Amino acid sequence: MKAIVLRILLQRPGLDRTAGLFRLRLRAGGSQIVLAAFVLVAILAPLISPQNPYDPLQVLGWDASSPPGTVGSGGYAYILGTDGLGRDILSTIFYGLRISLVVSIVSSLAAAMIGLAAGVTAAYFGRWIDAVIMRLVDLQLSLPTILVALIAIVTLGPGVDRIILALIIVQWAVYARMVRGVALSETRKSYMDAAQLLRMPTLRILLRHLLPNSIAPALTLLPIEIGHAIALEATLSFLGLGVPLDKPSLGSAVANGFQYLMTGQYWISLFPGLALLCLVASINFVGDDLRRRLDPRSAAR
Amino acid sequence: MIQEPVVPSLLQMEGFSLEHRSVFGPVSILTDVNFSLGYGEVLGVIGESGAGKSTIGNAILGLLAPQFVRVSGTIRLEGAPIDDRTLERDIRGHRIAAIFQDHTASLDPLMPVGKQIRETVLALDPALTVSEAKEVSLQLMTRVGISDAARRYADYPHQFSGGQRQRLVIAIALAGSPDVIIADEPTSALDATVQKQILALLRSLVDESGLSVILVTHDMGVVAEITDRVLVMRKGEVVEQGRTAAILDRPQHVYTQSLLAAVPRLRQTMAARKVRSTSPQWSDGRSETPILSVRNLSRSFATTGPKYWPWGETAVTEKPFALRDVSFDLLRGSVTGIVGESGSGKTTIGRIMAGLEFASQGCVAIDGREFDVTRPGRRSGILGLVQMIFQDPSLSLNPHMTIERILRESIRYGAGDVERPSDCAAMMERLGLPRSLLSRHPHQLSGGQKQRVSIARALLARPRIVVADEPTSALDVSVQAEIVALLKEAIAETDMTMVFISHDLALVQDLCDQIHIFKAGRIEDAGSPHYIFSQSTHPYTRELIAARSSWFTR
Amino acid sequence: MYWATIASGRLAQAALLLLAMSLIAFIGIHSIGNPVFNVVNIETATAEDIRQATTALGLDQPVWKQYFLFLSNIVRGEFGTSYIYHQPAVDLVLGKLPATLELAVFAMLVAAPVGVGLGLLAGRNEGSAFDRVVLRFCVLVASVPSFWLSMMLILGLAVLAGWLPSGGRGDSMLAFGQEWSVLTGDGLRHIILPALALALPNIALICRLARAGTIEVQGQEFTRFCRAKGLSARRILMRHTLPNISIPIVTIIALQFGGMLAFAVVVETIFAWPGVGKLLIDSIQLLDRPVVMATLTFVAVAFVTLNALVDLLYAILDPRVRLS
Repeated sequence: MKAIVLRILLQRPGLDRTAGLFRLRLRAGGSQIVLAAFVLVAILAPLISPQNPYDPLQVLGWDASSPPGTVGSGGYAYILGTDGLGRDILSTIFYGLRISLVVSIVSSLAAAMIGLAAGVTAAYFGRWIDAVIMRLVDLQLSLPTILVALIAIVTLGPGVDRIILALIIVQWAVYARMVRGVALSETRKSYMDAAQLLRMPTLRILLRHLLPNSIAPALTLLPIEIGHAIALEATLSFLGLGVPLDKPSLGSAVANGFQYLMTGQYWISLFPGLALLCLVASINFVGDDLRRRLDPRSAAR
Repeated sequence: MIQEPVVPSLLQMEGFSLEHRSVFGPVSILTDVNFSLGYGEVLGVIGESGAGKSTIGNAILGLLAPQFVRVSGTIRLEGAPIDDRTLERDIRGHRIAAIFQDHTASLDPLMPVGKQIRETVLALDPALTVSEAKEVSLQLMTRVGISDAARRYADYPHQFSGGQRQRLVIAIALAGSPDVIIADEPTSALDATVQKQILALLRSLVDESGLSVILVTHDMGVVAEITDRVLVMRKGEVVEQGRTAAILDRPQHVYTQSLLAAVPRLRQTMAARKVRSTSPQWSDGRSETPILSVRNLSRSFATTGPKYWPWGETAVTEKPFALRDVSFDLLRGSVTGIVGESGSGKTTIGRIMAGLEFASQGCVAIDGREFDVTRPGRRSGILGLVQMIFQDPSLSLNPHMTIERILRESIRYGAGDVERPSDCAAMMERLGLPRSLLSRHPHQLSGGQKQRVSIARALLARPRIVVADEPTSALDVSVQAEIVALLKEAIAETDMTMVFISHDLALVQDLCDQIHIFKAGRIEDAGSPHYIFSQSTHPYTRELIAARSSWFTR
Repeated sequence: MYWATIASGRLAQAALLLLAMSLIAFIGIHSIGNPVFNVVNIETATAEDIRQATTALGLDQPVWKQYFLFLSNIVRGEFGTSYIYHQPAVDLVLGKLPATLELAVFAMLVAAPVGVGLGLLAGRNEGSAFDRVVLRFCVLVASVPSFWLSMMLILGLAVLAGWLPSGGRGDSMLAFGQEWSVLTGDGLRHIILPALALALPNIALICRLARAGTIEVQGQEFTRFCRAKGLSARRILMRHTLPNISIPIVTIIALQFGGMLAFAVVVETIFAWPGVGKLLIDSIQLLDRPVVMATLTFVAVAFVTLNALVDLLYAILDPRVRLS
């Protein structure tokens, strides 16, 4: 009896519809909350951190390598322990988040814009312009990102701005390739022909017709590439080519702990690494969900 | 509804209702569908897009996505209800086989066709040895009319023509000697002449082996050609069913009547006619300078292979159309039909005239001014003098712009010297579009509405010449008729010169003053409709006319 | 004709890749600092020593002249002698090759079958619990930077559990004139952790690709037709779906394998695995230009060879490529 009532209830289109939409929203809810928390923590880092790990006066050397939970000489507990220099791991994570997020978001946005422009240009003009742009893209994509980043960093020198530049160099080609593919199929659609027949200025055709219709894949790629950028920046920092040591990102915080790993002081690299993992994973999950919703083909499934 | 004499039925669908369930709630797809299929019978299922006609076939075969839920009803094969378990083991392929519309996509591109037939034979009769199965496969290939089957056994699908591929699909369907074949739009992707051959093959199989066929189609011509009985579907409901001849002669339901009325009919004999107030100049014997002349236009086959550098991405191989030494004139204010099957170069010639593509040789003159069409349109200067109406309205409007912005753009950039009312709203009204659509985006419009907007855009640019490239072939039959009527009106009101490109002779018959028949890049036959339909003895013209179902030839 | 085009194309690609990489690396190394300070002992060297060393290494020439000298040497097959180890650069690279090769092959032998298998199964049961778990796993693994994954493997399996050694190559055995670790039990124990660290991200990558391909191919008309003609689901999956998704998978396997050969930098560093990647990063930091150039040349050649192999596989897998 109950089952029948329930079934009838569920069959009512209005209710089912709301329930469905609710489910849709909830699916990525977990990762979205985690991601929002990370961003919030990054913004509020100076207010909520127990200490400022970049300030040598606040870092107490004799508290170095304290395990998690130790109450330090500063009077507050090192919830996640301290690293080899006595920096509070929790504070390092909070401050490291800021650098990781800024570097990755700025570089990904810039790379997306460059890639968008390059991809649309290549697709529209074709011929030698396309050939030159796409050969560059091919060349870059045929090399692993880590090498391109390495060479770029080695050539450009150290510094946060250089890292951002290196990450842009690494990422733009991915966007360019993807956008070009979509733009190419758009140029074959007849609304582009119609625009040609009206003899509009080329710039107008590019900006008003081709660009808006080719932008979707770049947008869906963005979160995923931000995730990549965070991981790549961390890797570069790990190899000693990233951000300066006195201003650790999540990656260099992990790297700092490598030498202590063998002696069992696991917390120095475990906790920043976990934070890194959660950050990138939540971005990837949110990005995946976004892509599923924006791609009408998979939405139909 | 006409009562049928009771025939022993092979396949029955009783009170069948189906819903599509998604997060957006259930949508009814089929409502209370009843029909039965007799032995050795061809049953046509006809309807426009969204009528649920293909769903019937998929439901019988159990090939529906899980979101489709049967609400009520049963499907019986010789009285026994079909369920999922028997389907997989005993029915699919053995008793009921299928032919799908897209012959290219129906075959695995990476497996030789012979092997695809052989694996079916083996799956359906595991007792056979591989060499026996190959023998059976070769017989099947021969039976469906693949000549030289032994030599072509190891060829891949892409090495066959469209018609041959559909024959191979039929061979696979025949592999298990089924009782029923469900043919879902089996000829819609094929040219009229090839379509005729495939239908003849199906009919001969039915006549020879007592097979029954459920033929799903949107084309009344196909229904008239081979079906014994027909089921008319609309929005998931059967509105009418009965003997084909009876339905075609005396359709009872209003919807069936409107479907039939919308089919363009070919008249074998044509009286001299006068369709326009300003009759074309050649009819009063004076030769006047043409508004556009095409002179010795050729386009060589596009070469396949790497585009720029040897290791580049595999270049998109252009379809191998070519034009060979084509010349003709368009007279001021006339309507010229260009008719041909796929690959005849009819679309290419239209696009070259508009400046969207370039030729390898030849020139186009508009009002006596010659344009070097071997160069891209923007450079030769021809671009913008001719406007086009495109085939697929869902691709011809920028999805990111509102209708108003699309039309305003056309007014702003259109280059014409003839005074025309260039107000969006007035044009909308003229084309029977409600003014409220101006603020909408293309995806909110129906196919017919989109095509009207597309026409409005072309007209608002105030061109003197318009090329309409198959403007109705992506639309449902009932909408097709409206669009053709609209175009007729638009031409009659003005002195616009128009080129109407079509694969359908019946469509151009009433519309055009002059018809050019293209085949493989050449003009095979040309003349007034009266000449083409009543007098021409050209074999290709006669073949094209004969390919139309005789039912719709009056 | 097809093969001639491909071959000439690949050769041109090799040349271009090499040219671009050498140019970038040359300028890069030139801009960081003077290698001469890594060659002489800075504390004891006099100005005269430094001048002599500079001349001896040819570093007194303008950079473009050095570059052309380098190019002409390459044409003659000469990469020069390492500034640091005083050995021919080519020998250094070749000496590191077996370690890298065995690691990469071992990792890919694990990653490819597992990835393809998981992807096929997940794609076939799209939306099922299994599919969701696999998908979550893929996203999670793809989110882990490989250095942290390596460190956690060491922490878990080497430091805490103590089952496996944390680094180095272990015992090796001589075969084909080179030392191989996989031939000894101790070597095998040493290779498991770094191979796992390399394989896991690749399993995720290959699995996602296979899953997406399976879903796409299963949605295509010919799959529906195969079902309609009475084939079993298993046969459709193995005989029709698998070949049709193989091209992108082969491409990514080749690309990733190339990446492992040349740039398993992170994993090789963490596990102290003396391979080509570690040689490259050490040489970059020591500004040992001849070794960097020799390594990069090897990388370019490896990539082009792999690409050519992929072309060959395409032609085998897809008749449309072969017969057009």
